[in-house]
Amino acid sequence: MKLHVDGDVCTGHGRCYTVAPDLLTYDDEGFVSIRDETIEVPAEHRKAAEDAAASCPEEAISLIEDE
Amino acid sequence: MSETAQTADQRPEERQRGGCPVVHLDFSESKEAGCYWAQAEELREGGPAYYNDFGSGYWIFTRHDAVRDIYKTPELFSSESFVPWIPEPEYRFIPTQIDPPDHVKYRRILNPWFSPKAVEAAEPRMREICGPLVAEIAPRGECDFIGDFALRYPTEVFLSFVGVPLSMTDQLVRWVDDYFAGQSGDPSKLEGMTAALNGITEYWKGVLEERRGESEPREGDLASHLMHASFDERPLTDKEVLDMLLVLVLAGLDTTRGQLGYMFRHLADHPEHRRRLIEEPELVPNAVEEALRFYTIIFGDGRKVTRDTEFYGVPLKKGEMVYGLVAGANRDPRHYEHGGEYMIDRERIHHMGFANGPHRCLGAHLARKEMQVAVSEWLDRIPDFELAASEPLRERGGGAMLGLDDLPLRWEVDA
Repeated sequence: MKLHVDGDVCTGHGRCYTVAPDLLTYDDEGFVSIRDETIEVPAEHRKAAEDAAASCPEEAISLIEDE
Repeated sequence: MSETAQTADQRPEERQRGGCPVVHLDFSESKEAGCYWAQAEELREGGPAYYNDFGSGYWIFTRHDAVRDIYKTPELFSSESFVPWIPEPEYRFIPTQIDPPDHVKYRRILNPWFSPKAVEAAEPRMREICGPLVAEIAPRGECDFIGDFALRYPTEVFLSFVGVPLSMTDQLVRWVDDYFAGQSGDPSKLEGMTAALNGITEYWKGVLEERRGESEPREGDLASHLMHASFDERPLTDKEVLDMLLVLVLAGLDTTRGQLGYMFRHLADHPEHRRRLIEEPELVPNAVEEALRFYTIIFGDGRKVTRDTEFYGVPLKKGEMVYGLVAGANRDPRHYEHGGEYMIDRERIHHMGFANGPHRCLGAHLARKEMQVAVSEWLDRIPDFELAASEPLRERGGGAMLGLDDLPLRWEVDA
């Protein structure tokens, strides 16, 4: 699974890195550090990724299942 | 609720505008605690939109998705005014009332100061302020949580966070109270609001004069930091710096006090939740987040329509005001499973207690941490407490921000 953050939509609520601290972290302004990036989600962090996506008040996180 | 409002409520079918019921609701009045959330729920379940002919009139959107879309569409809903009954404000808070594209430029100056990293660094100082205050209150066996704690602790944290001497605490608290009394929608309080805005601005002008000409920003001093900041490669003007500092004081002092009051009323009423948080302290951030959703102090948030349009089936005209009923949206069962319940271990909590879209609350990370520290320091020293009120608690009107007038608590003290 891959996780993508839409940088135009993210406004830095910080819910994602709070609920998934082992997967995501913040930058100096308080945004998730991977705005506009797509990362590979290790299998053991699958639930964390789902929690992060579902906790985002802006719906800025999308999950992409591997083919 | 006034006479007219009741009449309007009872016969909504008789008055319509744009396909919506017309109501006449004054949200400035003090009521029994909890009434404003009940009213928000009633409005939300009664319909998705209303026209409130209170003041110069404005549209109310009651449900989650519409409130979210108001926040997320700044090109259609300008922040030029965020108070629907004050469509032409005398003030211009930065970045609160700035629309894209300039808004983000101001936010970039302020964001690092209020980032999670900065807040983490301030946590020890928060505990230094909070711990002794609770320790001082604990042997008394009773207190007014609002006056004795919720007013003092967040104010001192905030002032130390931005580098204002604590000797200014009482004066600033009075000004902030006067400001919100005026913002609430009560016309008799508008003069006090203007005086408060002038008072705070004059205070900051003095601070700026003291720092004028210094070659380096002072450590831990937000005013000094702003005087050295750039906007589009030019320094900020005094006016801009003052408009930023003014709103920070207004937003930083009163909000956490209101939110803490409801959080602790909940804990007083729910011994099982206190026990749970003592046994599982890692649950504290979740309990706080759920309080921000369920007990949101932001009754609603206003915006000004930038062009004629239709929004969720309602025809809107350029210049009209809309009001997103955040208190209704945050409990909307269309969006939240068991939205009408406080669930301490709710998973995947998200809410609009810190707004949504570009104007997401700058101080969100600070506010959360302040609340988490308050809960943990308090439960450490006063694990059991209960309401000591003989009469129902009262809350300030939601026109500004909801907040309990007082919260009498009592607990057993070991002899």
